[in-house]
Amino acid sequence: MSFHDLYRHVLEDLVTGFSTDRNANHLAVARRPAILSVLAAAGQETSVAEALHAVENAAPRFCGPSEWLLVSRTLSAEHLADALFDIRGALVVDQSEGKVLLSISGPAVRTVLAKCVAVDLHPEAFAMGQSANALICHLPGNIARTGDDEFEIVTPRSFAVSVFEELLEMGREHGLTRNFTE
Amino acid sequence: MASLITCPHCGTRPKEEFSIRGAAGPERPSPTARDEDWHRYVYVRDNPKGRYQEHWHHVAGCRRWLVVDRDNLSHEVFGVTDAAEFERARVAK
Ligand SMILES: [Zn+2]
Repeated sequence: MSFHDLYRHVLEDLVTGFSTDRNANHLAVARRPAILSVLAAAGQETSVAEALHAVENAAPRFCGPSEWLLVSRTLSAEHLADALFDIRGALVVDQSEGKVLLSISGPAVRTVLAKCVAVDLHPEAFAMGQSANALICHLPGNIARTGDDEFEIVTPRSFAVSVFEELLEMGREHGLTRNFTE
Repeated sequence: MASLITCPHCGTRPKEEFSIRGAAGPERPSPTARDEDWHRYVYVRDNPKGRYQEHWHHVAGCRRWLVVDRDNLSHEVFGVTDAAEFERARVAK
């Protein structure tokens, strides 16, 4: 920790600009993720869910009964849509241009999120890989646990600026930094 | 008002995630029912004090319609069911 981290002026960030060096608590913005909306036809909910969990290099996020978002940082939306084409009863719409993917991590992550997400994120209540639609910074989005101290947030594109700014504000007391990830 | 609602799909959430439509009790008349029946179904409500069933929409969560069985005087919630299941159970009766 540098001298400036220990003796920060109240206007430090506003005068010198926010630091982009990664801190322990960090908010990463995925530059071009693939995010697909998937609905299951009536009676096919279980088989579609199983097929979605079997897709490699992508993770399904639970939105509601018979509805998921399939998220990938490495595959293109076209590639994923092709992979889903064979799943019987799955209705797929590419949402990549309409959604933004954020990843927030660090030892204080739950303290930060407790200020703007009303979901119990204790590991016993919200296990690894679990996801839920919820209000995130007063706006509807999806939150998923991707590590012990790491969560992924999917938010509609038009709300992304507001959610991003509020997350930074909530994380400021914990030195939350941010950058883009590929 | 009950401030925590346990959605059968999403778990316990604050009321801010929901929007409330109104009483779930009135049954939709048949299309050929008399005008008086339709008038009663569309416009007339009992406005009870105490326990009753109400339609809630989980707007910021699963976006499903729910039926919340609650007491509007004591704020106690007795149960929450998916509106589709509620309707199926009513038809089955
Ligand atoms: Zn719900």
